[in-house]
Amino acid sequence: MVIEALRGIDLEVRAGEFVVVAGPSGSGKTSLLNLLGCLDEPDGGEARVAGRDVATLTAGEKTRLRRRQLGFVFQSFNLLPVLSAFENVEYPLWIDGVPRAERRRRAEEALVAVGLGDRLRHRPDQLSGGERQRVSLARALVHAPVAILADEPTANLDSRTAASIVDLLARMNAERGTTFLFATHDAAIVERAPRTVRLRDGLVVDDVSRERP
Amino acid sequence: MKLAVIALRNLARHRRRTLLSLLVIAAGAAAMVLTAGFIRFSFDGLREALIHGGLGHLEVMPRSGGGASGPDRSAPPALEDWEKVRAAAEQTPHVLAAGAAVYLTGMVSKGERSAAFLGVALEPDRERRMGLEVKLRGGVNLSDAAPARGEEQVLLGVGLAQALGARPGETVTLTAMTVDGTLDAIDASVAGLVTTGLQELDARFLKTHLATGQRLLGTDRVSSIVVGLDDTARTEEAGDALAPRLGSMGAEPLVITDWRARAPFYGQVRALYAGIFWFLGGIVFVLVCLANSNTLLMSVMERVREFGTLLAIGTSRGQVALMVLLEALWLGLFGGLAGDALAGVLVAAINAAGIDMPPPPGAAAGFPLRLAVRPGDFVAVLALMIVVLAVASVPPTLRSVRLRIVDALGHV
Repeated sequence: MVIEALRGIDLEVRAGEFVVVAGPSGSGKTSLLNLLGCLDEPDGGEARVAGRDVATLTAGEKTRLRRRQLGFVFQSFNLLPVLSAFENVEYPLWIDGVPRAERRRRAEEALVAVGLGDRLRHRPDQLSGGERQRVSLARALVHAPVAILADEPTANLDSRTAASIVDLLARMNAERGTTFLFATHDAAIVERAPRTVRLRDGLVVDDVSRERP
Repeated sequence: MKLAVIALRNLARHRRRTLLSLLVIAAGAAAMVLTAGFIRFSFDGLREALIHGGLGHLEVMPRSGGGASGPDRSAPPALEDWEKVRAAAEQTPHVLAAGAAVYLTGMVSKGERSAAFLGVALEPDRERRMGLEVKLRGGVNLSDAAPARGEEQVLLGVGLAQALGARPGETVTLTAMTVDGTLDAIDASVAGLVTTGLQELDARFLKTHLATGQRLLGTDRVSSIVVGLDDTARTEEAGDALAPRLGSMGAEPLVITDWRARAPFYGQVRALYAGIFWFLGGIVFVLVCLANSNTLLMSVMERVREFGTLLAIGTSRGQVALMVLLEALWLGLFGGLAGDALAGVLVAAINAAGIDMPPPPGAAAGFPLRLAVRPGDFVAVLALMIVVLAVASVPPTLRSVRLRIVDALGHV
């Protein structure tokens, strides 16, 4: 049986936007983010990231695109347990061949920016859920990507911590101009989003923009 | 931060599993080192037993008296001016001494009993200086001085003496074909009983003084000059140095053969032991490989989501593969080092224990067990363990690089 995760979607996200992709479980939020993150390939249609058709990219080009132009924040944080907070944030720079001194400076700056300047040497299992997600966000930001794809980044957090993470994402979007695509079904977060794209059964059922407060 | 460091930390995550893997590798490595040490001890022991049992390191003879595989013991002695050849040999570097040899075949009798013998007539004083062993099992060795006519002496192999019922001090009669083709016989006193270390040869072996051998065959020539060296490793070098010194000596060209060419038995034993070693090595290789491949695969399967994350954030599949390979190489390195250390302790303990081994097939006596391990063995086994683990890492590495990122990220 073939299940169409996404169908007939026509969506454009401009640089610097903060877009919340909302919808119930199974609506296609994760599939949409996977396509835009070059983690999956569409069976039909066209997905363009930074002006490039994803389907035309080689595996190596996709890897480099994810490494340099995209950042990922996952629901379960997905930090490397054997690395400290600092090393986790430093990692994307290391695989991209950034010189040691520069990557150390940028990793520290990213952790300070998310409020974890005093947690550099802590391993993930020594951090709270909110702190781990901040490390994950710092890892996504450290190489200054054009867009960050966050799949349910607050789902495993209590409401207060979730709100602080959303505030942090919004601040990064405002200060750095980084584009955010933020998948969630949390109504409180959806209400605050400058632009909300609602999905249901693989279709865009609503695309609403509102003025920033 | 390097992939090697991450790989090392990943091993430390599951200490018990890593420890078990290291134990398997260490046991395999130690088994390889011990086996190599035992086999080398056997090779070395057999080689020195053959050389010092009478073969010598080198032998010089006229071309007609034999070939590349050694002397024709049934041919009459053909080497003239052998004293010059012997003197030239003794002036060659690393030569301890050189002695003339006459090979004899014939019958030996005592009373009503007779038996065929394979004999050799040598110079006892030079034999001693060459370091050739006489394994006396009764009586005394031959006198150094050439015996006067009528005072001939022989040493009998223990089996031959038993067949004849001869004991030291009794007289036997040697009968052999002279170089002129006539039969000659002389009486000789049994000075002592000897063993060659080989039961079958002991039943035929006879040794006498060079002068007695020449009298029995009616010649003043010898079959060959046996050369003893100060170090077996110098055999080739000494042979090369000796060849030009021999030059035009002798009525016909002289040939030099080394102990290896005259001991095909050694080559056969070596090939057999080498086959056993590689067979055992193959079993160890497969066991260590399978055990660790399974462990590494388990480790990868437990970290599917982690690999998915690494790929998602821009790690190349080659880097992921390298990370898995490095984990295997660390295991091979540490396991190999542990195995080498374990082997070092066991080798020292076994060599100090003075364990006596039973006689090998066909041999007359047992031997003390020693393991002849060299530093190169430890290095080779360490390298082998690293290679084994590299091979073992192939299935988990392939599994890690073939992951679909979206599936891996959703893996529970």
